[in-house]
Amino acid sequence: MALLVVLGFAIGLVMVALPLTQLLAKIIAYQVHKTIGLLVPPLVLWRLWLRARRGRPPEDPGLPAWQHSAARLGHAALYALLLVVPVLGYLSASTAPGQIETVMFLLVPIPHVLEPDEASYETLRAIHQVLAWSLVVLAAGHATVAVIHHRRGHSVLAHMLGR
Amino acid sequence: MAKGVIGRRGFAAGLGGALAFGRPATARTRYVFDQAVGRLEFVARHLGVLSSTGRFEDFAAELLIDPDQPLTTHVEVTVRTAAVALAYPGAVDLLRSPAFFDVERFPEARFTGQATGEGTLARFPLAGDLTIRGITRPLRMEARLVDRKRDAALGRDVAEFSGGGTMKRSEFGMTAESAAISDEIRLVVRVRIII
Repeated sequence: MALLVVLGFAIGLVMVALPLTQLLAKIIAYQVHKTIGLLVPPLVLWRLWLRARRGRPPEDPGLPAWQHSAARLGHAALYALLLVVPVLGYLSASTAPGQIETVMFLLVPIPHVLEPDEASYETLRAIHQVLAWSLVVLAAGHATVAVIHHRRGHSVLAHMLGR
Repeated sequence: MAKGVIGRRGFAAGLGGALAFGRPATARTRYVFDQAVGRLEFVARHLGVLSSTGRFEDFAAELLIDPDQPLTTHVEVTVRTAAVALAYPGAVDLLRSPAFFDVERFPEARFTGQATGEGTLARFPLAGDLTIRGITRPLRMEARLVDRKRDAALGRDVAEFSGGGTMKRSEFGMTAESAAISDEIRLVVRVRIII
């Protein structure tokens, strides 16, 4: 999941920056970005389903209560962003005046649900961008905190990795 | 609304057509239309799976047609190349550049076509010449009567025609970005006229 987020985010930055003189690379970058984005929500839902069925990994009893609450809040925000960011990306692609199709893996055409509309596109794209940055910052924080716990001898990181 | 509005020139020509209908067999009517009542689009493919559609927002077309004898149809379209439009950031500049339409040197593109005598009103071919960047190549297009219905307000019939054809951009010296943009470009013309 983290790998997909990092890849999707990095390609997102590159594809926008690529000039039209590198059209082939730009087109491919957009389609790879869209493919990654479309893969994330189903994987998140699958993960949430597993989490509901099997429960979360055990919490480290050595941590103070406020840290447990902060973690719960952070995780909820992460899950929400993992679902919302791709959906907003898909909707902004739908409303884009340029009407570039979305073709997953360059094989599977994905229909767009909204009509092209400049104003909604600008809004959706801006929110998609801000929330994508929020997601990456939050995910980086999530990883940093896990490493800090690990260094302090807590079992958080081991549990995250399924050990 | 671009497709739905009948421009004044087209309307005037339409009235002339009504008069001309009094003399069958020679009832070719002259319609003049532009971007106000018609659409002129081109579709490129990318990587075989994607497509992008551009259009020309300034063109003038003249159509000589007898709806009862479509096989005598003649059409002439002149396009102002700088009026190319494609709703993608930077695409217009790219298309206007010397690598593509080269609008500074070649401000106009043109298609002149004549029905070949084959087909029916529902679908008939037009054989003609396409000139882009000063290069003229033969181009065959197919015209179709998409819809014809009575407009109660006008008390006349409104016919919607479409024309389509495929050109190879390399034949007109537009070879840039051959990996990203298909060589074959589909041309689509739509117009509504009062008959």
